[in-house]
Amino acid sequence: MYTIIENLRNVANKHPNKAAYISKDSQLTFAELDSKVSSVATTIAKAEQPRRPVAVLASRSFLTPACFLGIAKAGCFYAPMDPDAPEARLRQILDVVNANILLADKDHLAQAESLGFKGRIILMEDAVSETPDEELVAKAYDEITDDSPIYVLFTSGSTGRPKGVLTSHHAMLCYLDGINTVIGLNESDIIGNQAPYDYIAAIRDLYLPILTGATTVMLNPSEFAMPTQLIERLADAGVTTLCWSSTGLEIPAKLGAFDVDESGKMGASKLPPLRRVVYSGSVISNPLLRKWQDAFPDTVFINQYGPTEATGSCSYFVIDHPVEADEVISIGRPYKHYQMMLLDADDKAPAPGETGEICIKGPALALGYYDSPEQTAAAFVDNPLETHYRERIYRSGDIGRIDENGNYYFLGRKDRQFKHLGHRIEPEEIEQKSMHIDGLNDCMCVYNEGAKMIYLFYTGTATSKDIALALRKELPSYMVPRKIVYLEEMPRLPNGKIDRKAVEVMAQ
Amino acid sequence: MNELMEILESMRPDIDFANETKLVTDRLLESFDIISLVTEIGDEFDVKVKPSDLVPENFDSVEAMWAMIERLQDDDF
Repeated sequence: MYTIIENLRNVANKHPNKAAYISKDSQLTFAELDSKVSSVATTIAKAEQPRRPVAVLASRSFLTPACFLGIAKAGCFYAPMDPDAPEARLRQILDVVNANILLADKDHLAQAESLGFKGRIILMEDAVSETPDEELVAKAYDEITDDSPIYVLFTSGSTGRPKGVLTSHHAMLCYLDGINTVIGLNESDIIGNQAPYDYIAAIRDLYLPILTGATTVMLNPSEFAMPTQLIERLADAGVTTLCWSSTGLEIPAKLGAFDVDESGKMGASKLPPLRRVVYSGSVISNPLLRKWQDAFPDTVFINQYGPTEATGSCSYFVIDHPVEADEVISIGRPYKHYQMMLLDADDKAPAPGETGEICIKGPALALGYYDSPEQTAAAFVDNPLETHYRERIYRSGDIGRIDENGNYYFLGRKDRQFKHLGHRIEPEEIEQKSMHIDGLNDCMCVYNEGAKMIYLFYTGTATSKDIALALRKELPSYMVPRKIVYLEEMPRLPNGKIDRKAVEVMAQ
Repeated sequence: MNELMEILESMRPDIDFANETKLVTDRLLESFDIISLVTEIGDEFDVKVKPSDLVPENFDSVEAMWAMIERLQDDDF
């Protein structure tokens, strides 16, 4: 069995005193990480059977990935929860996960205790200090197979219940190997972490160091609000590699970090030695990407595409020229370990150049949705084009096209899902939560792509403030509409259904 | 300052802007709020918030934001 845990032991032997993770004022070496992972694995192996979920509620410190890996080493899988998420959301996740163990750091212990969790809460600081029992851990570790789950990550669900994407050890290694074959990190590289740990993009930042000996610098989320300081911080940390959401790149560019004033001075007083910038999550604004390209002319920029169900990203496109405002950037070709294909409305292969639903296959696919057999069966299906044996594919719901060179293009969605701040959001989930608010009769959620603003149009006696406050208790901040607009009457079609097109126009 | 308060309250009705003094430092305002805010402040008060103005000290409280806006308005003359 070859897992990320084996890699950790190897890198800890090779670079024991090199930093795996750095946060503002401290660092964790590979040897220390390996030791803490064994401590956590011991704690978990004493308390839980392999192949069971362990929930984690903790801040963005380097103890958190040590806990993730410790849980994995004990043969279990981790379910990360964002402490900034509202209580109702955390309760929903705990309800889906139904774990016996919840690991919480001391800053979030009281929060963990307030969630009505019926299992046992273990303090993370205690878990990382446990005396390792290698024999006990080895016994649990031996239970792992390639297809054992390593994590379950939650995404927005159109039913109003978050969907837990369950991913195997092997799938995660496939993705990490796929991306690293393209970006070729080594021990001289420093990665700047943007993604929260409960988000798929974080697996690159957390685990590429273990594969390559690189170091990840944990950035504080508050640093992203002040873009010039953020860029200067990357420079001070010597960051060579960014694997960020498109929005993460757009914000500093939009707020002028790279703009030059009359005196010739750039917003950011110094720039990091970036070798490559990899982005994903949504279609980036070309003018803002161009600002990055102009500020970093020697840096390689890579556009990635892929859903959480395909474990990170499944395709990439190396942008080899300064982008123009009106061009459409390809999502490229599949990474190693991945294959992609299109299916038309009749589940046939579309003619060359025609559009179809993007489907993904290969060993890097997720195992399915945790505790949701129906949703799993609908999205992970047998390939209708392979009639000789069973081949599993994931239907992304994204519409795409392949050009004559074999490069894929993303053209939109089959359903109403949209991407906002790198997160994918089902508007139905926001509408469902809104419909429970007193004084709200009817509503429709619309995304304005250009302004990157979620709108909620509603009828009823509730004020927009009532609605915003109520939604903040239910949904993560990024899902709460920033424009909540009262309507005398909801536009309707002759059949009584909401006239979505008419409402969409109001958000433009 | 009332106009500024209105902008803030309509954007984030959940925040007690009158009393908070660490809006950015304590991450009450997120990066995306800052983008909306910079745009709206620019439109409403006819000022240009420069990258060098984007420091926590200028956004941690309503008073600090207002002081920045007044300073930027003076700069324009």
